[in-house]
Amino acid sequence: MNRLIIILLSIFSISSVFAQGPPIFTETPILLGLDGGGIRTFGRFISKENATIYVQPIGIPYNIGSKTQIGTVLRFINKNPNGISAQSGIGDLIFFAKRQLFQKDGKGKTFRLTAKLDQVFPTAKTNSTPSIGSNSWQSQLSLVAGYVTLKYGLYGQVGYNITTNNLPDNIIYNLAFVYPLLPQKYPPNQLNLNIGINGNFFTDINSNTILASGGVQWITSKTVLFETGLQIPIVEEVPDTQKTNYVLTFGTRILIF
Amino acid sequence: MKTLLKTGIITLLTFAAFLLSIPNANAQSNNETDKTYIKIDVDGLSCPFCAYGLEKKLKKINTVSNIEIYLKEGIAVFSVSKNQKPTKDTLKKIVTDAGFTPSGIVFSDKPFALKDEK
Repeated sequence: MNRLIIILLSIFSISSVFAQGPPIFTETPILLGLDGGGIRTFGRFISKENATIYVQPIGIPYNIGSKTQIGTVLRFINKNPNGISAQSGIGDLIFFAKRQLFQKDGKGKTFRLTAKLDQVFPTAKTNSTPSIGSNSWQSQLSLVAGYVTLKYGLYGQVGYNITTNNLPDNIIYNLAFVYPLLPQKYPPNQLNLNIGINGNFFTDINSNTILASGGVQWITSKTVLFETGLQIPIVEEVPDTQKTNYVLTFGTRILIF
Repeated sequence: MKTLLKTGIITLLTFAAFLLSIPNANAQSNNETDKTYIKIDVDGLSCPFCAYGLEKKLKKINTVSNIEIYLKEGIAVFSVSKNQKPTKDTLKKIVTDAGFTPSGIVFSDKPFALKDEK
């Protein structure tokens, strides 16, 4: 069951680092502005019953035209289990690609649908206890949809993650609602409220995890965004000793391209 | 004699100032009349954080200046030199490449009167 944590850790740090614009914990189908060529990094504390984990990913996307995006994610991971010494290192390397499949625009609103492929390469060390790497090739294909207006944004993602080396495959399902607390204007000075759920269902072992998510974002200019959020498990079908207490995230996104 | 000299100097200075002011007045007049003002209706402009991509693309137009994006109205306005005026097809491609949908393009010799959102 410890391997579930490895997969969950991957998902905690992967699923939202690709979301280059609002929302915080769910993917976005929009590949523009802070949704496009921006570096994103955040610190993420995962407090569990049997360990404390810190992950610091940095995602670097690059847009090829307005409908295609590729990128990579590097992660620093520190695992601090109860009773044994902590381990740190660079996590598995991740490449991703997004392709917009559908776009319907109206005045002050848009609906977009995007396909996304995430590929995890098992490059991190696995000879330590606890292991930093997953020692598993993982390929995740998902569909991301978003309906965004000047008054709110609604985002959803459904995907399937195929794993190797006897780790369980899993279905991911995320939903987010973003509400601007200040009037929308350009150049932006925007405060967003984020709420949502982030779910994982491990198909091989019929185990489900759902996190309730909430957070705020402050977009200070055309190119800089700060954000913080909290995730709390509402369904977590794992042994009691491995349960998650909370996941705390704080980070920034900076537009570079 | 002194008064005559003084009057002569003042007259010369006034004349010089007059001559110097003529080219400036013409230049100012030319600047205003040589501009074409462009307004583009942009569909899909629903988030301030993604509008920056549109601004960046518009900045690549030759002689472009005074780019303003109005989210609520869903429009972008700017000006270019008259002799560098882009075609509607070029502007449509710019907006489409920026990830949005152009729904109308208007050229004008006068600035558009719009409410400032800032």
